[in-house]
Amino acid sequence: MLELDAVTYRYAGAPRPSLHEVSLTLGDGEVVGIVGASEAGKSTLCLVAAGLAPRTVGGTLSGHVLLDGHDVAPLAMHELAERVGICFANPATQLSRVTATVYEEVAFGPMNLGLPRGDVIDRTGAALDAFGIADIAEREPARLSGGQQQLVAVAGLLAIRPQHLVLDEPTAQLDPAGTQLVAEALARLAADGASILIAEQKTDLLAQICTRMVALEAGRVALEGAAAEVLADERLSGLGVAFPASVRIRRLAEAASLRAPQRDKLAAALATMGSPI
Amino acid sequence: MTDLALESVSHVYARSGVRSLDDVSLRVAGGERLALVGQNGSGKTTLVRHLNGLLRPSAGRVTIDGADADGYTVAQLARSIGLVFQDPDQQIFAGSVRAEAEFGPRNLGLRGTQLRAAVDEALDAVGLSAEARTNPYDLGASRRKLLALASVLAMRTPVLVVDEPTTGQDVRGVAVVRRVIDTARAAGRTVIAISHDMEFVASAFERVVVLRAGRVILDGPPSAVFAESSWPALRSTFLEPPLAARLGAQLGLQPTPTDDALIRALAQ
Amino acid sequence: MAALAVTLAAIMLSGVVAPLLLIGVGVLLPAAVAGVVRELSRIALLLSLPLAISVVLVNVFFFPGGEAVLLRVGPIVATAEGLRFALEILLRLAAISGAVVLFYLTTRPGDLVIDLEARGVSPRLAFVVNASVQTVPTMVDRAADIAAAQRARGLDSEGSPWARVRGLLPLVAPVVLGSIAEVEERTMALEARGFTRPGRRTLLWRPADSRRQAVARWLLVAALPLLIGLRTAGWLAWLG
Repeated sequence: MLELDAVTYRYAGAPRPSLHEVSLTLGDGEVVGIVGASEAGKSTLCLVAAGLAPRTVGGTLSGHVLLDGHDVAPLAMHELAERVGICFANPATQLSRVTATVYEEVAFGPMNLGLPRGDVIDRTGAALDAFGIADIAEREPARLSGGQQQLVAVAGLLAIRPQHLVLDEPTAQLDPAGTQLVAEALARLAADGASILIAEQKTDLLAQICTRMVALEAGRVALEGAAAEVLADERLSGLGVAFPASVRIRRLAEAASLRAPQRDKLAAALATMGSPI
Repeated sequence: MTDLALESVSHVYARSGVRSLDDVSLRVAGGERLALVGQNGSGKTTLVRHLNGLLRPSAGRVTIDGADADGYTVAQLARSIGLVFQDPDQQIFAGSVRAEAEFGPRNLGLRGTQLRAAVDEALDAVGLSAEARTNPYDLGASRRKLLALASVLAMRTPVLVVDEPTTGQDVRGVAVVRRVIDTARAAGRTVIAISHDMEFVASAFERVVVLRAGRVILDGPPSAVFAESSWPALRSTFLEPPLAARLGAQLGLQPTPTDDALIRALAQ
Repeated sequence: MAALAVTLAAIMLSGVVAPLLLIGVGVLLPAAVAGVVRELSRIALLLSLPLAISVVLVNVFFFPGGEAVLLRVGPIVATAEGLRFALEILLRLAAISGAVVLFYLTTRPGDLVIDLEARGVSPRLAFVVNASVQTVPTMVDRAADIAAAQRARGLDSEGSPWARVRGLLPLVAPVVLGSIAEVEERTMALEARGFTRPGRRTLLWRPADSRRQAVARWLLVAALPLLIGLRTAGWLAWLG
């Protein structure tokens, strides 16, 4: 369990905190989505959850970040890295650039952790299989498409076997094919019981995989609850968040005073198409 | 109003030998709003770079108002074609938002009150007027993207080409982009946008051109491009029609590429 | 290591014959073994050409104390001594550039780094070496994209020299700023994968190091102090 307890965080030299009294829990096997306008604090929240703020990024943090009930403050970054993995939006910057093949890139994490050689090999193989990228294991990471690079990055994180995974807009820079690749991989992870914290603008994607959602506004929690509820909450657009397409269409139907039979037809069609909301 | 045309344009990258455009012919009339879609590698970026001369055809020709683009330098073509790149950090170099927005129009020879007016108008259009003196790197990434857009808007070119304008934008950012496109259209400017966002494409543009492996596979209004008959072609290049289109088909209605079209069709 | 030894030796030796021998044994022979003679010659030539030209010009024509005149061009005189001196320098230059290029062509950066690390060099230092090598091609690509973006905004890259100088800031600044902005994110990505853990990493493999390579290496390294000693003692004058 990863917990943020009334966390207030201010970047070094910033006039105001970027996060204000934010509390959040990520239980084992939960998938929590973070939404909010640009600069509402989504990325900062991810950095705090993974421990990069304040360790690598600097700044001041008050409140507590807890892993399984223990405050992580005394832990060093490399100790946290084993327990919370984080992936960013830009596929290219995730690559270490010192590896010649995808295999080595995925093995990078376990190698850094000094695990026994046999373990490194096992974990790398398992991560490659989990993401279906064993067939590109010999390719050069720099020459892959953005979507493939993101898969390699997440596989590389998974090879470390952290308890929790934090993803900061992982599909932001991907084309539809890449987004689909990553979305499916994440859905599989979620189905397998991984604990995931994911910030995204694409609420359709979040609707598919999240159990709970948290909406941020100017560094504070504005909404939280079950995914289906939060994503249909009318306050979302005021927070700069787009409704998932199905919610948008339903709201439009209501606003246009569409008669009940027509609305029911719409609902039935949505259900047939397997829409999660 | 400026007409553009690609006539049987092919492009082969010299170093890799990759044929990124294969005998593409396209006419864009002045004032059109056109969306260019396709996977990465389908040739979208290559195509738009031919419009302002950054790339030259290996075969065929590009004409601007009937004149062959080959006779003009990129700087000259920049007077007619304003191209906004996807990554704002590839162009931002100035210490203030205003200075950055001034770069383009300055290069085109604007000075004094004319320059000021052009920049003010552009910054206002993207909502950055209040931050005119701010350092671009003190803005978040999505607002830097809007700054890049403003810096090309200020050039007041008859044709505006934008690469992935809504990527990374929240709801307000997308609204800004839509407004900019509508305003440009109202002023008679041609707008060409590359986008992955099918819902944005269906609702903000009158014409959609789909590229796959350097060729045009679909070209028409959203109602045609997102109609069920086009889905196999779309899916062959990993594109999904908007939800409204899929719902409409599910309900046996006429093509409904946008939410509004769907609701209107249901109301009948 | 071999490259380093050859380079140092080249500097040490004087004369014509010695560098020639050096090129033959230290550079061309290993190159032939590795199958890169042509590539090596091409690159080494390209690299040293500008320097070589100036060396020849300066020394042939302006060698102090030259007396055996070969050619007169107005007031400037080409001397045999100058020519010989130029030749000596050229040969050493060839030896050095040959050695450096040989190193570059036969070593995969990743291998070098892993080898260093296996011998105890800190992984973080090894990483810096490796990543620095990778930086240049990345920056070159970036620079091309940046130039395109600025030209699309009317930057005149085909105009007067003054215009081009003014155009430098919009071309250079994004490269630098972008690289700096990227550093933070890349650092975070590395740290998120345990890179800052003190101590050694588990290495999956080490570059093959045959006995022959090891022997050749130690011979070359041993030869160096030997050469220095001999030279100082004046015993190598006959080679000059």
